[in-house]
Amino acid sequence: MIELTLQALFSGLLAGGYYATVAVGLALVFGAMRVINLAHGELVLLAAYIAYAAESRYGINPVMAIPIALVVVASASAIVYALLSRIEHDREINSLILTFGIGIIMTNGILTIWAADIHSTTNPWFQDSLVIADTLFAMNAEVAFFIGGLALMAGVYWWLNHSWQGRAVRALTSNRNAAMLMGVNPRQTEILSFMIAALLATFAGVAIYTGKTVFPSLGHVLTVKAFIITVLAGMGSIHGVLIGAIMIGVIESLTVTYLSASLQELAGMLLFLVVLFVSPSGLFGGRRALAR
Amino acid sequence: MKHAMKHAILGAALLAAYVGVPLLFGGTPYVMGLIVAALTIAGVALAWALLGNLGGMVSFGHAAFFGVGSYTSAVLSMKLGVPVFAALLLGGLGAAVASVAMLPALRLRGPYFALAILAYAHIFQILATEMTPITGGAGGLLSIPRFPTLFGLEFGGKTGGYVIILTIILLSAFAYDAVRRSAWGLALKAMHDTEIATRVIGVPSTHLKAAMLALSAFITGVVGAFNAHFISFLEPDYAFSSTWTVLPIAAAIFGGYRTVWGPVVGALVIYLLDQLVFKPILPHGHQMVLGVLLCAMILLSPGGLLPVLLRRRRSEGGRHAHA
Repeated sequence: MIELTLQALFSGLLAGGYYATVAVGLALVFGAMRVINLAHGELVLLAAYIAYAAESRYGINPVMAIPIALVVVASASAIVYALLSRIEHDREINSLILTFGIGIIMTNGILTIWAADIHSTTNPWFQDSLVIADTLFAMNAEVAFFIGGLALMAGVYWWLNHSWQGRAVRALTSNRNAAMLMGVNPRQTEILSFMIAALLATFAGVAIYTGKTVFPSLGHVLTVKAFIITVLAGMGSIHGVLIGAIMIGVIESLTVTYLSASLQELAGMLLFLVVLFVSPSGLFGGRRALAR
Repeated sequence: MKHAMKHAILGAALLAAYVGVPLLFGGTPYVMGLIVAALTIAGVALAWALLGNLGGMVSFGHAAFFGVGSYTSAVLSMKLGVPVFAALLLGGLGAAVASVAMLPALRLRGPYFALAILAYAHIFQILATEMTPITGGAGGLLSIPRFPTLFGLEFGGKTGGYVIILTIILLSAFAYDAVRRSAWGLALKAMHDTEIATRVIGVPSTHLKAAMLALSAFITGVVGAFNAHFISFLEPDYAFSSTWTVLPIAAAIFGGYRTVWGPVVGALVIYLLDQLVFKPILPHGHQMVLGVLLCAMILLSPGGLLPVLLRRRRSEGGRHAHA
């Protein structure tokens, strides 16, 4: 019983790691631009499918495919930004519908090119199991990308707190007008946040391809999950996102272990709604209210 | 004079819709089926636009109301023997009751509300899959009772279904218009401009939004219930499919979600284009075209096509008057 629980906690922790890399990108773009990019999950999925194409067609190791995927995802991300910046009226609502539309285009584009089949890496190393302390099992891919993801997020965290550009993103998040008065170029900073989000999305996409399975409708699921995590965290809090992601990962994996796999999504959704009830500004969001 | 002409046009349109269309297409079940399906989307699009236009809320979860409405009506008529037409209304009521569960989300701002309601849609879908004794689980419900024959009119067929969904849409549009013209409509319009000021002068904005959510859910639920009895089959993945959210949004944005008839016209155009043109070309990814359409509309003409067309006609009319 204890072993089972420990294993569930461990698996949840690993899953939380990759949820966090997806969610941090979403939160970053939201912070800089006040826009929820509903196509974010599809960007992650695009990276996964580029890794799949590279591996299945040219035999390239998924990790080596990251640079190729990054170029594609960053270009797609730049297009999303270019379209978003053309919206003039009712930006909040129109940007939602626009990115929703982009998400539909990407999902169906992926469906048309790669069909609805489920894919995963064929490289056996990623799927080999790793045993920790004789009791905890994980796949090589899960552990490798968990550590890589943490390192990447630590890098982003450092960048946000210590580099001029990163601070500019945070400045835009907290007060757009004041930041512009202090000489922050909003367009440049917004583009930068989109590029960092693309980097995180690429990494997360390849992680999912090697450690889990990918299929066209996954993008939408990832967007919703990332959004739930950002709400749990409270918008604009990076360490909150990490904690929120691990919470979701652990709750899902406990649900799968003790209840049923089909209830996995339900657990996260219920947690999300409970948090909305009790503390609409998220668990770590301080006084920045989501509500009116 | 102007009123008389308006009434004459309205009468002609009603006659064409109730008599002309069945006479023209009644003999070809395929075309009739397409029109009924397009009108089903139109009903949801109308309800979605009502929430967006009057309540100022974008929903990505209307599939939840559609699914709850269809299951409520199907289960009531199958397990409790409730007459189909009564079950239809109870289906709408069920969806309205389900919207009560979403009330806490009303205090959220735009994007948060939109996504919270998406989360609700997922929850309802999972519940429908898991509550096997009532809903039949993932296997679904087979041979749901069809519409009966009343007053010598057979409602079970394609043409009968057409008359029912047409009536649902007309009544919904009528209700929508009545709300818009009422004191509530004025308060809601003021709320759209500045919510805080409206609250200060004593308008219960949350109550009004809740009422709009319930009305929108009711209409969507009735349309969902109609669809269940019309096709006589339900499964969770179908009843709660994101299609019931995506197509109506595309239709409403395309036609113009700030008008009553824009979403209906948009649904007819979009659904028929999708089925007759895009689906044969792109059998699997044909929804991509909807995405392109949605993006193009938001970027080029966020108000939708119907208002643009009407404005053009009006300005042309104005020019004639000056000449």
